[in-house]
Amino acid sequence: MNMVQQFDPAQVDYSQDLGTPGAQSDVMVTVQIDGMPVSVPEGTSVMRAAAMVGANIPKLCATDNLNAFGSCRLCLVEIEGRPGTPASCTTPCSEGMSVHTQTSRLDKLRKGVMELYISDHPLDCLTCPANGDCELQDMAGAVGLRDVRYGMEGENHLDRGKDESNPYFTFDSSKCIVCSRCVRACSEVQGTFALTIAGRGFGSQVSPSEQQPFLDSECVSCGACVQACPTATLQEKSVIDLGVPSRKVKTTCAYCGVGCSFTAELRGDEVVRMVPDKQGGANEGHSCVKGRFAWGYAQHQDRITTPLIRDSIDDEWRPVEWDEAISFAADRLNAIKSEHGVDAIGGITSSRCTNEEVYVVQKMVRAAFGTNNIDTCARVCHSPTGYGLKQTFGTSAGTQDFASVEQSDAMMVIGANPTDAHPVFGSRMKRRLREGADLIVIDPRSIDLVRSPHIQAEHHLQLMPGTNVAVLNAISHVVATEGLMDDDFVYERCNKTSFKAWLDFISLPENSPEALAEITGVDAEVVRAAARAFATAGNGAIYYGLGVTEHSQGSTMVMAMANLAMATGNIGRLGVGVNPLRGQNNVQGSCDMGSFPHEFVGYRHVSDDTVREQFSSVWGVTLREEPGMRIPNMLDSAVAGEFRGIYIQGEDIAQSDPNTKHVAEALRSMECVIVQDLFLNETSHFAHVFLPGTSFLEKDGTFTNAERRINRVRPVMTSRTGLSEWEATCALSEAMGYPMPYESASEIMDEIAELTPTFAGVSFDLLDKLGSVQWPCNEQAPTGTPIMHKDAFVRGEGQFMTTPYVPTDERSTRKFPLLLTTGRILSQYNVGAQTRRTDNVVWHAEDLLDIHEADAEARGVKDGDWIEIASRAGQTRMRARISDDIPAGVVYTTFHHPVSGTNVITTDNSDWATNCPEYKVTAVEIRPSSEQRA
Amino acid sequence: MSTSGNYKQQHLIKWANQIASSIPTREDIPGQISAHMRQFWTSEMLKSLREIADETPDILDEDVRSALQSL
Repeated sequence: MNMVQQFDPAQVDYSQDLGTPGAQSDVMVTVQIDGMPVSVPEGTSVMRAAAMVGANIPKLCATDNLNAFGSCRLCLVEIEGRPGTPASCTTPCSEGMSVHTQTSRLDKLRKGVMELYISDHPLDCLTCPANGDCELQDMAGAVGLRDVRYGMEGENHLDRGKDESNPYFTFDSSKCIVCSRCVRACSEVQGTFALTIAGRGFGSQVSPSEQQPFLDSECVSCGACVQACPTATLQEKSVIDLGVPSRKVKTTCAYCGVGCSFTAELRGDEVVRMVPDKQGGANEGHSCVKGRFAWGYAQHQDRITTPLIRDSIDDEWRPVEWDEAISFAADRLNAIKSEHGVDAIGGITSSRCTNEEVYVVQKMVRAAFGTNNIDTCARVCHSPTGYGLKQTFGTSAGTQDFASVEQSDAMMVIGANPTDAHPVFGSRMKRRLREGADLIVIDPRSIDLVRSPHIQAEHHLQLMPGTNVAVLNAISHVVATEGLMDDDFVYERCNKTSFKAWLDFISLPENSPEALAEITGVDAEVVRAAARAFATAGNGAIYYGLGVTEHSQGSTMVMAMANLAMATGNIGRLGVGVNPLRGQNNVQGSCDMGSFPHEFVGYRHVSDDTVREQFSSVWGVTLREEPGMRIPNMLDSAVAGEFRGIYIQGEDIAQSDPNTKHVAEALRSMECVIVQDLFLNETSHFAHVFLPGTSFLEKDGTFTNAERRINRVRPVMTSRTGLSEWEATCALSEAMGYPMPYESASEIMDEIAELTPTFAGVSFDLLDKLGSVQWPCNEQAPTGTPIMHKDAFVRGEGQFMTTPYVPTDERSTRKFPLLLTTGRILSQYNVGAQTRRTDNVVWHAEDLLDIHEADAEARGVKDGDWIEIASRAGQTRMRARISDDIPAGVVYTTFHHPVSGTNVITTDNSDWATNCPEYKVTAVEIRPSSEQRA
Repeated sequence: MSTSGNYKQQHLIKWANQIASSIPTREDIPGQISAHMRQFWTSEMLKSLREIADETPDILDEDVRSALQSL
């Protein structure tokens, strides 16, 4: 064999389009492609095998994230011993097969096929926005097409109109070759089934829903169709406006906790488009409307790029140079510290910022401020996850990687709405559900997963808000009393004393589905069926969101889920686990980075002498051994006149935290409020210093997603503010007397790795080499840990916890008879600071209150009416939407628009262990309103 | 205690009683409460809670009062 022709699997470029998906098989077959031997897993297509050895067969309808379709007839090959010219995309390799990809016969056939395509395609290549980035154009070149014998005069589709209804892409049907890639992407990748081929034969055309404009159709604008289109039929408007990109930078999305990898494509310093990276471990080439399209906020005119200061919050802002702003802030904080002590100041880190930015803020607070008064916005979302999983498993993180769901036989989705809030992972879930996995949804609302195209939850436990723990206890009761436990797993892996106590507790009649049905509102038989399905499925996986954590028993609920996973043996392998779906891009990372007032980096308590001395030694300061204040403590102390200065990194607590009236009172009481953010937000109304932040497109660092995956965030464009956020933080720290002389973000990560056993092997070099890595990453796991607790729990033995159900104080009463629960929607993100400054507002221009028809009718409310919503904390107004997604007695809204004042009405109830606010249960009453705004 | 000035006390009372009712594993509840508070509460919060216990003991759960003995 000629050495030059030898196939080396390590040399395959998987970033290129190999035409069809890879096959999963332990059996390898060897075929000859144009005389070159290649061994591939059984089931691999001839097209893919050929691409792996560099013999790229012309194709149009094939792409390697979609199943082979065999419609374009361009990828024909000849196979020795077989008649005809089969399509290489739909022909699997078999042992000994000898394939020819380039023959004169094939050339002639392919040229003929291309001629037919081009005869019904506009010949406007020079002015086409896809010129130079068009597969049809490339293939015409690849087959050597020089002439179209049929002319352009015959019947054609060239006068078809253009659909420009979607804000981000156009649909030009005249350029469509009806390859169905967009239709298949919508079905197979996204799972929305919004597109179809309408008509037959020559009249066939791609149709959104029932031949509606894209904007009016069921399309969710994930961009999968645009990505799949081999022509300019589906084309980003930004490319039409700006031209084909000329350079690329790989980075990570800054929206939800899925943490999708993207290639930012630019012309000069201007982003033209964000293309999902098919080698991204979290998203594998998929995206959602936010990550794919809603990045324009980074260049929005509202961006503040110059530091601002003012003596009083009643004064106008004064733009100043960085030095002056830093000195002003440092002087104020130092003055408070001198006069009132270190406990009078503190800080809050942001889950929107990088690990490195978060690390330096918490270090500044502990070392320069001299206090452990550091908290993070995860306080108001996933702090119960940190507590609950640490108690039971030994570490504060989800157990699986996202790909694990592909091996799940039953999914239990609790208090999460993945297709809206974690859409790319939601699509993965949908794929597995279409393959036949069982679905159990525990949620007061009929979320999209309960019933959507080709998906129907087998079990929907539509519980009353605030009764999560009761439902989980009832499920575990069934598992324990019907002999559905995995006794071997419990015996080998878990602490027996804790198990026995739990078993005694959970077996009590008071925890039976029958006993709890009245409280939860869920029929006992429905609970029993769900419990049996989960326990007997094989691989049972639990996925949960803020509908679990944002309750007065959020931490208890996390432990209840961990109990169920351990009792059924669903921990430590693919397809199982307890998996928090993190709200923001770096919730996991901000928690990992020592943002909680009781823990240093890596979840080690500040009272641990060994750990504290290690940090003291590296940081060169004496550190305090007692926990600092949490956000609610800081706010309460501020109102009491004891807490006077705060550094708030990328969080808008005046909008996002509950009982905003109280938050405002606390902020107004302070002498120095420093806000570091992209925009002047609600919190900045109370600020004395505004330090302009950087968007994710300007950052250099890392984000850690919900599966513990550390991804690089690379600067795509120069900082609009002149400083990185970590540089601004270090400047403030130095001005306060504690220099942090880092040269780069990479150097900060090196210090994190030095001080954190689970990050010991992490470096920018490693991330650049591997793409990403899931912690723990250290000597024992040099390339990371996709699945945790495989042979033993981090804490050794799994710890069962008894989880008594304690009703929340927040109950419906005669005065406030409805229970309000909150959430977010696909097109918007949290308080909307980013998404409201993009065209995503076309899908959600305002927050609405969803109300059941019966509740609306009883109050004389019609769809679209303005209503007043009152709770014991406050009142606001918004418009009503009659919805059957929620049961009678429950109302639902979002909090994406500050004008809605959703958190004016949420209360100060919180989780017993972590003080995570109880956003998900607020007793309210509504009535028609004559006025239109709060 | 509904005015804003009382937020701090009001919250401490509520949180302490909530810990008493919700702390898992219902053995030695005072011991568990004190361990929890030691882990997560500042000394200033504990001091304030002690003052509340001295002034209005009945407002606190009995287990919280017991826990405070060991803190």
